Amino acid sequence: MTKKQNKGGLVADAAVYSAEALQLAAFVYSDRAEISIKAGKGVFNVSFCGEAPGFHPGDYMNEVLNQQCRLDLAKQNSKAAGMIATKALLSAAGGTKKKA
Amino acid sequence: MALKKAAKKTEPAGPPQLLWRRDGASCLVTNDFGQYAWLKKKDFDLLLAGRLGGKHPRYAALADKGFIRDRLDFDGLAAKWRSKNAFLNSGPGLHILVLTLRCNHKCLYCQSAAAGPGARDTDMSAATAKKCVDFAFQSPNPGITIEFQGGEPLLNWEALKAAVLHARGKAKKTGKNLSLALVSNFSLMTEEKAQFLMEQEVSICTSLDGPADLHNRNRVFCGGNSHAATVKWLKFFQARHARQVPEYRVFKPSALLTVSRYSLGRHKEIIDEYVKAGLEDVFVRPLAPIGYAKNLWGQIGYEAKDFADFYLKSLDYILKLNRRGVVIREKMAAMMLDKIVNARDPGYLDARCPCGAAIGQIAYNYNGDLYTCDEGRMVGWEGDDAFKIGNVRKDTYRKVLTSGAARACVLSSNLESQPDCARCAYKPYCGVCPVYNYEAQGSLWGDMATNDRCGLFKGIFGALFALLKKPGNETILKNWVGK
Repeated sequence: MTKKQNKGGLVADAAVYSAEALQLAAFVYSDRAEISIKAGKGVFNVSFCGEAPGFHPGDYMNEVLNQQCRLDLAKQNSKAAGMIATKALLSAAGGTKKKA
Repeated sequence: MALKKAAKKTEPAGPPQLLWRRDGASCLVTNDFGQYAWLKKKDFDLLLAGRLGGKHPRYAALADKGFIRDRLDFDGLAAKWRSKNAFLNSGPGLHILVLTLRCNHKCLYCQSAAAGPGARDTDMSAATAKKCVDFAFQSPNPGITIEFQGGEPLLNWEALKAAVLHARGKAKKTGKNLSLALVSNFSLMTEEKAQFLMEQEVSICTSLDGPADLHNRNRVFCGGNSHAATVKWLKFFQARHARQVPEYRVFKPSALLTVSRYSLGRHKEIIDEYVKAGLEDVFVRPLAPIGYAKNLWGQIGYEAKDFADFYLKSLDYILKLNRRGVVIREKMAAMMLDKIVNARDPGYLDARCPCGAAIGQIAYNYNGDLYTCDEGRMVGWEGDDAFKIGNVRKDTYRKVLTSGAARACVLSSNLESQPDCARCAYKPYCGVCPVYNYEAQGSLWGDMATNDRCGLFKGIFGALFALLKKPGNETILKNWVGK
């Protein structure tokens, strides 16, 4: 699904990973590396610079996978998840006054 | 006329929604209604294939629990789900007032970012305390619990007294059911203060980390012996609880245990100390790498497996004591068991879906700033207001409860949207913590595959379900939550 690119970058298969998952993971890792994502033909080219000590690109890709799984799950479970979240928030915020 | 071809025999339908987990030769199956069953591998395969027939010895019991597709009692199961998730309808019930950041202790693991005893600019004024009480009573929840915390809340006695009296007045006016609770290290307790607290029916909770040497090592008190003060006042409140008076109700005091690296290996001594102090619950809580504890993690922290080992040994020892007739239970296990055995919500906000942040609890900082929870407030003290939801003087109740941080916590702690959790057999009883995820893994969602809190909860659930398999243990554990 991913392969190493020259200069320590990675190539992510666009059939598996969405730009959103790559960007979300980049945000999670923003305090550990500057991550840039460029769309190619059927792939995303990911490059890293300014890595903090201990940063490993594989950890970033694990987070990409986590975010992608979450996005895929959200599509399947959005109805149930949305009902639960809406119920919880509306109940907590108090009754809505109906207009006469 | 040509005869219709006989319809092909259709494959039996599979089971309704279920979650499962293998454990050796057997499988634990659970469902969203909070029901569970242990099945042998061959019975599990039959259930999955929809071939577990009416004559099977487990059929009736599994049907009762909602595991047989053709025998679903929709009304009964829906009622169970509603009861288990009743908190979705109620709004924040727990309101934590941080009366001061000052503290006369310097506990090694303190998450609450305590200031020195002289720093009076971190005290909540009586006027702000009353505003906080008014704000709490705007919650639609018919039951309001106000918990006084710090720092050490007894360092700001005037604000505490004002808030207690104001809350009692509000409860009378609104007809809401009010519970008041104080979390104190007891070092500043006096008979006069104790009398006021008892008369106002304030329940009392303290910290007890084990025998004197361990307690005093964790809970450093330059002004005296922390352990001695704790034990002295625990005994005082217990004695007053034992001889009730008709005018007011005196609650049995309770204590919290925080497990530091120094506690590991000393589970027996710690539990014996609780028994000796007359306590019937020990709440074995792990350290969280939040706030001050995060900075000292290398000195006092440990890996999840170390805590899991400590926890399981503690549980095992408690059960041994129970068999000898000693009354003591582990609080976290008791709350989880209440969910597992009684399909009931015990009010444990850390293990709800969504978690209790903002929708179940609100933390009120000394200056009136509002946070999703006390852990969120501690992150705020470190300079990051990701979990701030407003200010008691500036913002309306509705604005606070619909703030970005409140919504983000609800969405990110919804297990239906968490990849690992959505398929986990423990999902019906579990919950995630966005603050923990944020601090430990850099995002509100976290990544459960490598999340220590998740590993810890899985260990606890695994142990509880394994214990429930054995009839002797099952009876004891069910007694813990039988009331």
